[in-house]
Amino acid sequence: MRGAETPETMQDPSGKPVVTDTTSTILDRAAEAAVRATPDSLATRVRGLSDKTVAWIFIAPTILLLLAINIFPLIWAIQLSFTNYRANRPNEAVKNIGLSNYSRILNDADTWAAMQATAHFVLWTILLQTLIGFTLAYLIDRKFRGHAFWTTIILVPMMLSPAVVGNFWRFLYEPQIGLFAYVISFVTGIPPTEILMLSSVKLAPWAIIIVDTWMWTPYVMLICLAGLRSIPDYIYEAAEVDRASNWRQFWSITLPMALPFIMLAVLFRGIENFKMFDMVNLLTGGGPGSTTEVASITLKREAFEKWRTGFSSAFAIILFVAVFGLANIYVKVLNRVKSR
Amino acid sequence: MADVSLRGVSKAFGDTQALDDLTLTIKDGEFIVLLGPTGAGKTTTLRLVAGLERPDSGSIVIDGRDVTKIAPAARDVAFVFQQYSLYPHLTVFENLAFPLRSPARKLSKDEIDRRVADVARLVRIDHKLDNKSTRLSGGEMQRVAIGRALVRKPSIYLMDEPLSSLDAKLRGDLRLELKRIQAELGSTMLYVTHDQIEAMTMADRIGILAEGRLVQIGTPREIYTEPANLHVAARLGQPAINLLPADLLPETSAPAGTKTIGARTEHLTIAKAANGHSDGTIDWVEHLGDQNHLHVTIGGRKLVTLTDPDTPFAKGDRVTIRLKTPLYFDGAGNRIVG
Repeated sequence: MRGAETPETMQDPSGKPVVTDTTSTILDRAAEAAVRATPDSLATRVRGLSDKTVAWIFIAPTILLLLAINIFPLIWAIQLSFTNYRANRPNEAVKNIGLSNYSRILNDADTWAAMQATAHFVLWTILLQTLIGFTLAYLIDRKFRGHAFWTTIILVPMMLSPAVVGNFWRFLYEPQIGLFAYVISFVTGIPPTEILMLSSVKLAPWAIIIVDTWMWTPYVMLICLAGLRSIPDYIYEAAEVDRASNWRQFWSITLPMALPFIMLAVLFRGIENFKMFDMVNLLTGGGPGSTTEVASITLKREAFEKWRTGFSSAFAIILFVAVFGLANIYVKVLNRVKSR
Repeated sequence: MADVSLRGVSKAFGDTQALDDLTLTIKDGEFIVLLGPTGAGKTTTLRLVAGLERPDSGSIVIDGRDVTKIAPAARDVAFVFQQYSLYPHLTVFENLAFPLRSPARKLSKDEIDRRVADVARLVRIDHKLDNKSTRLSGGEMQRVAIGRALVRKPSIYLMDEPLSSLDAKLRGDLRLELKRIQAELGSTMLYVTHDQIEAMTMADRIGILAEGRLVQIGTPREIYTEPANLHVAARLGQPAINLLPADLLPETSAPAGTKTIGARTEHLTIAKAANGHSDGTIDWVEHLGDQNHLHVTIGGRKLVTLTDPDTPFAKGDRVTIRLKTPLYFDGAGNRIVG
């Protein structure tokens, strides 16, 4: 949601200035579109109601649902974040404590450690997934024999449930019986009992990064592949006739033209991993110690183990604003790249 | 610039024989237009010369060097594609400079600037050098595409219907510009089109392609006045040539074996019927402004011809029709030289 009153002007690729939709203009336009699409006979039948009213009636259920499950909880959480409310003691008096939840979070070493763990996780997963995903997409796009088969194979991890993935990677990481530990020890000669992927302070963050990369690289590949496929063949043919080497074709055609897609994949993965919870919870539960305690794990502990509802609401709002702000800045950059 | 020749070149895509034993020599500085319907093998011919396709048999020789198995980059050709194949994220200047920036060329920055400026002036895009190529109109994009080919000095320019996606007025302008540029530079050009006006106005020689074969090659005049067969005759002329059975009109000078008579406007003399005798009826007069199309019915056949804007004919008029030196074709469709 950008500033609701000031629609900003941007350039779309064809050079025409376009006004980015604000929430209210989208709703107005949806109403107008519904009016246009409504047959005259219907409009006459519901006499007494203006066309616009009829249109609003049609879109009201969706809006109510959105308000009920998105907007209302958000507003409630904002309100709770200024209180000392505890959900396990509903009868206790709720005291408004102003910004003290926020100041405690921002001065708390533990929450900053959680932020750092999250940043580490997000940066490395994005880096690895983008590099490997784009490389795979580039190779698949060579259209060798059987490329469709390999695309399907590569996509399998993405289609599994995170719960399943978390559970079987726990077995794979098992030092005694796990295949991962066995293979690593076979290659490096380190005894498998020393490869404690999930319980070593040094290895645990990487164990999570590996699983997330294994699972979500296919997704990045798919988006990159769509980008590569959107580059028409004749541009490459023109470059070939123009005597551009493969290297130069890659840097001056492939990469710039696929860049918006790569950036989109980074955005999706970034937002997703910022709030990563399920896989980390299944694999390490934040441990050992708090080495893999990403922000959402801290949040869950504060909210549902320590029952500090007001405090965790404030933390959730801080996370929300951070992700939202970063994503918005990123989308601005993305639009600029797209309209080049 | 150099001679380019295709020698017995064949190419099939799956079951489709795109080119069948094509032999064609383009002389240094010559402008050859390949004319034919969709699927005749025109584009395939260009792509073979460029090296974007490999022939199944036959050889391609550029400047005395057999390039049949050589990659496009090493052939020294320039290609203008039917689509505007510009590099979308680059400016007009960068697009034009792209072929010159090849490491194989080792041109200095000044040299590149100078050549880009020259070509931009030639294709009249010099006022938009700093624009992104996506911010141009269709005509400007195609001028840049043509400019990107011209900025090099290749052995041959290959152009694949470069004007087909433009509107009629722009097509007319660019047609003249292209011919002017080619004449100015003395470049060798192989140009593909299905537009007979482009072929007639620009070509030194026209090659007529049909179903992968070169049916006839010659100057526009030759192709028009001495078509080798019915197919070639039908490709040129507006309105299209009228093909009539030999016995439809009383024609005394038809050579033996004539099955079909081809009559264009200039072969027909039409007059209002006098003293009761008539050959046909005016069916319709199409007023195009600068000229009129006359639709005449004779013995169940329709015939279309041009007439003056101030035509005396009107619908329903009975007319006599005389032929003067029309084209004669035998049963196989080949022209009988009278």
